[in-house]
Amino acid sequence: MKKTEFYDLLMDTLEIESVDAVDESTDLTDLEEYDSLAVLSLIAMIDEHFSKRIPGTDFQKITTVQSLMDMIGAGSFES
Amino acid sequence: MNGACIRKIEVCLPRKVLDNVELESIYEGWSAEKIEKKTGIRSRHVAGAHETAVDLAYGAAKRLLDSLESRERNSVDFLLLCTQSPDYYLPPGSCMLQDRLGLPHSTGALDYNLGCSGFIYGLAMARGLIRSGTASSVLLITSETYTRHIHAMDRSNRTIFGDAAAATLVCASESDCILEFALGTDGSGYQNLIVPAGGLRKRYNPMAGTAEDPPGSLRTENDLYMNGPEVFNFTIEAVPEVIRQCMEKNRSALDQMDYVIFHQANKYMLNHLRKKMDIPEEKYYMHMLDVGNTVSATIPIALKDSLERGLVRPGNQVLLVGFGVGYSWGATVVKIKD
Repeated sequence: MKKTEFYDLLMDTLEIESVDAVDESTDLTDLEEYDSLAVLSLIAMIDEHFSKRIPGTDFQKITTVQSLMDMIGAGSFES
Repeated sequence: MNGACIRKIEVCLPRKVLDNVELESIYEGWSAEKIEKKTGIRSRHVAGAHETAVDLAYGAAKRLLDSLESRERNSVDFLLLCTQSPDYYLPPGSCMLQDRLGLPHSTGALDYNLGCSGFIYGLAMARGLIRSGTASSVLLITSETYTRHIHAMDRSNRTIFGDAAAATLVCASESDCILEFALGTDGSGYQNLIVPAGGLRKRYNPMAGTAEDPPGSLRTENDLYMNGPEVFNFTIEAVPEVIRQCMEKNRSALDQMDYVIFHQANKYMLNHLRKKMDIPEEKYYMHMLDVGNTVSATIPIALKDSLERGLVRPGNQVLLVGFGVGYSWGATVVKIKD
């Protein structure tokens, strides 16, 4: 998936309205939309689009969009 | 008579209601509207300070028994109570209920400890008891007051869970309306949905400190803990597989089912599982608006509601799937009697 596509997908999945756009440097934990339910929607999105499962405890380590992409796997993204 | 059928379902909800407006007033930065949009829940019923799982179970069972003709009422000879919020360690709540409901001393009764898979396991046991000739009419009660396990400032869990009891009468019948089961267990996930203290491994700790987990939600070790992400991961693995097994055992296919009812866990999980399993929206039950997640009572509440609203009709085959704490899961197909 192209990184820009992923950013749009994130905006959509997390229903982000507090900022106009996200990129790899956006800190998700700074967003008001990023709560415990947001994590569930991320799990659903990652399963649907990447067929991957990320251990629950790893979600606590997520900060920036880049850290989320690293967790999904760099091979899943093209610039 | 070699088969077992679901004859009737009755529900008892506590009178006290916790709505989103009240949650909004407790938790800073929350709006009632947003909670409903995100969770699909507007309000949930919560047990009062002196209201227990046995009280709710009694309410549902009494309503059910009162609605029966005396011949049918007198044929009840077994009582199953599924709860994880028992009145006492001992005696079993089912024994108290035998007396309170005025059932004869010849009634068999037992409790079992399961959560969101509890209704499926209850149907499996009821069917087994009937088909073996041990019982002819089983009163299966699933009753929970999970809200009593939840910390007042645990906004994640308080938003999702509600209390309820459902009483389901399973009777012997000529043909089998409860078909084959697929069941499963993975105890390696036991710590992801747990009340850590209060049992005998770790006694209730009146001095327990508060921890914040997940962010924004408080709890002590005496309270319910749910690792939402881990439980979701488990569900994504277990549910498609148990459905595959259940369909194989019933020599059927998912697209042959007239209707599908999953344990009503939460909106995200239900939406995702529906898409993943390619189940058409019109065949899929999703309704938690005024009850929330009532653990082992969600499936019978949903089945009763589906029958009343005509979503499910006589002759239909309905797939039921329960999954959760343990981890424990199960699926079966029920045929709605003509």
